[in-house]
Amino acid sequence: MLSLKIENLAVSFPGLTAPVLAVDHLEIAAGSGVALTGGSGSGKSTLINIIAGLERTRAGHVFWGDQNFADLSEGRRDRWRAANIGLVMQDFHLFPGLSALDNILLPARLSRVATADLVKRAHMLFQTVGLKRPEQHVETMSRGEMQRVAIARALLRKPGVIIADEPTASLDLESGEAVGDLLLSVAADAGSTLIVASHDPRLIERLGRRLSLKGGQIVGDTQAGEMAA
Amino acid sequence: MIRFILADLRRLWLGGAVVVLLVALATALGVAVTLQERSLRLGSARAADKFDLVVGAAGSETQLVLSSIFLQAAPLPLVDGSILTKLSADPRVDWAAPVGFGDSFAGYPIIGTTTKLVAGTTPGFAEGRMFALEGEAVLGAAVNLPLGAEIKPMHGTAETGGHTHAGPAYKVAGKLQPTGTPWDRAILVPIQAVWHVHGLGEEHGHEEEHHDGDGHDHAHEGDEHHEEGGTHTEAEHTGGVAEHVQTVAEQPAPQPPKTAFALGAASSAHIEDDHHGSIDPDAPIVETFGASTPGLPAILVKPKTIADAYRLRQEYRTGSTLGVFPGEVLTRLYATLGDAKMILSAVAAGSQGLVAAALVLVTVIHVGQRRRQIGALRAFGAPRASVFTIVWLELFLLVALGIGIGFLIGLTAAQIGAQMFAAKSGVILPVGFTREDLRLALVFLGFAGVLAAVPALLAYRQSPATALRA
Repeated sequence: MLSLKIENLAVSFPGLTAPVLAVDHLEIAAGSGVALTGGSGSGKSTLINIIAGLERTRAGHVFWGDQNFADLSEGRRDRWRAANIGLVMQDFHLFPGLSALDNILLPARLSRVATADLVKRAHMLFQTVGLKRPEQHVETMSRGEMQRVAIARALLRKPGVIIADEPTASLDLESGEAVGDLLLSVAADAGSTLIVASHDPRLIERLGRRLSLKGGQIVGDTQAGEMAA
Repeated sequence: MIRFILADLRRLWLGGAVVVLLVALATALGVAVTLQERSLRLGSARAADKFDLVVGAAGSETQLVLSSIFLQAAPLPLVDGSILTKLSADPRVDWAAPVGFGDSFAGYPIIGTTTKLVAGTTPGFAEGRMFALEGEAVLGAAVNLPLGAEIKPMHGTAETGGHTHAGPAYKVAGKLQPTGTPWDRAILVPIQAVWHVHGLGEEHGHEEEHHDGDGHDHAHEGDEHHEEGGTHTEAEHTGGVAEHVQTVAEQPAPQPPKTAFALGAASSAHIEDDHHGSIDPDAPIVETFGASTPGLPAILVKPKTIADAYRLRQEYRTGSTLGVFPGEVLTRLYATLGDAKMILSAVAAGSQGLVAAALVLVTVIHVGQRRRQIGALRAFGAPRASVFTIVWLELFLLVALGIGIGFLIGLTAAQIGAQMFAAKSGVILPVGFTREDLRLALVFLGFAGVLAAVPALLAYRQSPATALRA
């Protein structure tokens, strides 16, 4: 359960005159649900990378709670992300050859934090996301099932933040809806801050707040109530 | 982590297998060259170990060593028999023994020599006993004949169109324990028997007539021949018989000792059909060599001290004789061998370099293809060190496996080569790993470790965001 505060953030790439992302001030309350929308090139993915700590913050400040990403080395940022941010991606990024359960536990195991309790939690999460065969290899699963495994993996270490990048874009309507439901309910249950980049209107409208990006700027910031109007 | 690596390797098993195979073959090449060369060196050195000094007629040193120690059939010039007499009497000499060859049986060379040499160069008898009579033979460990077997010597070898001596036959009296030398393949008989088979070493006063025989069919001659041991001395033996012992396919047809004392020059007509020698199987062995000793291809000398060895070699390097230390000749041969080994090693190293370069290429491409996976690992919280370790371990395991298999293949290849060589030459080549190989393996593994670090570092340095975008 963490709040986000961004100040004077500017991300530019060499060779480009205008920054791909410029955010002067943004605050997201702890436990809230936020949708990020915008076309390609809007800076949406860059923002996701920055707030997930995947990309280095060179100019400005990105605070999760009291922690400023800009102050952290790459290794410490990795560690912080592993402990505090649950990531869900469009392409799942599950590792073939491993069972669903092993996939859920893989990042924790690689970080050497996979205790017996965590293994137990992995089993529990597996049921929470509505799956039945923990030993099933992921490559034999349907895409909807894969995304459920990915969500369980994101939740394993009880992250204060869940960041999902187009979680439903590669799913059919039905499983997309189910995955959306799942994301919202697990975030609500854990009280995690949920940030979802999406094009999926049905998913967007169920989140409390909507940030629209265009040309690297936040051009819209609406609450759910206002949107309905 | 291990499970993840194994899952990954299982998924990429075909590529992994190719990598292992490449590494294994490149390693095997280098290992086989090293092992083979070393075993050849050790094996031949062991073969020469017991032969301190070899004295032969002036000629090729290498050929003298190859013929006397490796029993390689080749015509050798003969050294005068009196040299043996002189050497035997020399106070600096422990023992000196003649080596007479040229005959064979079933592919095994028949070597005429003395009991002293047999006793002095072999570890003892596996069964049976030393030859005690002229018609007895002792087998080297690798000669596949039973005790009591009858051996009919063939002049030369079957391959070179040799013919069987009609009359004589040896009876196997004993079998020696293995020595790991070409002599294991030899049939050892008393030297006097070899002489007698060829009609040498007997007292005959005529010089010309015994050269022009043609027959091999005079088996009857031996029957009534009673040679007395120790009576060689009086006759003036002529050097003319010398070339008979070695010259393949040439028919030595000297005068048989049938009527040794009675024969005069007048009996030449008689001799015309008695040109082939024979042995008296029951005659006792005489190993004192007088002035009438026939020419010899080689004499093995056991000097009393090292200083004596050097002095003797010096003395017998003049004029018509050639004294050599087999070890020294072999050392020179090894120098040549060493050059060949260097070339082979360079070829092997070149191939290893190529494989290493190919591996770097393959892995760099591989890491490129896996950028997303590696990025995802990082994104989901795997520490950088873990990512490095995963990529490094995966490649290192493959290469290490390849190196291990390569050493086994190399060892097997060297052993097969050694077996083939041993079957042909009798020289046991001791193929085996030494400390040096351990070092080589460690060097290879170290290199593999560095090699594997290249893609691992690439993976380590990738920013997860960039990797995921790829």
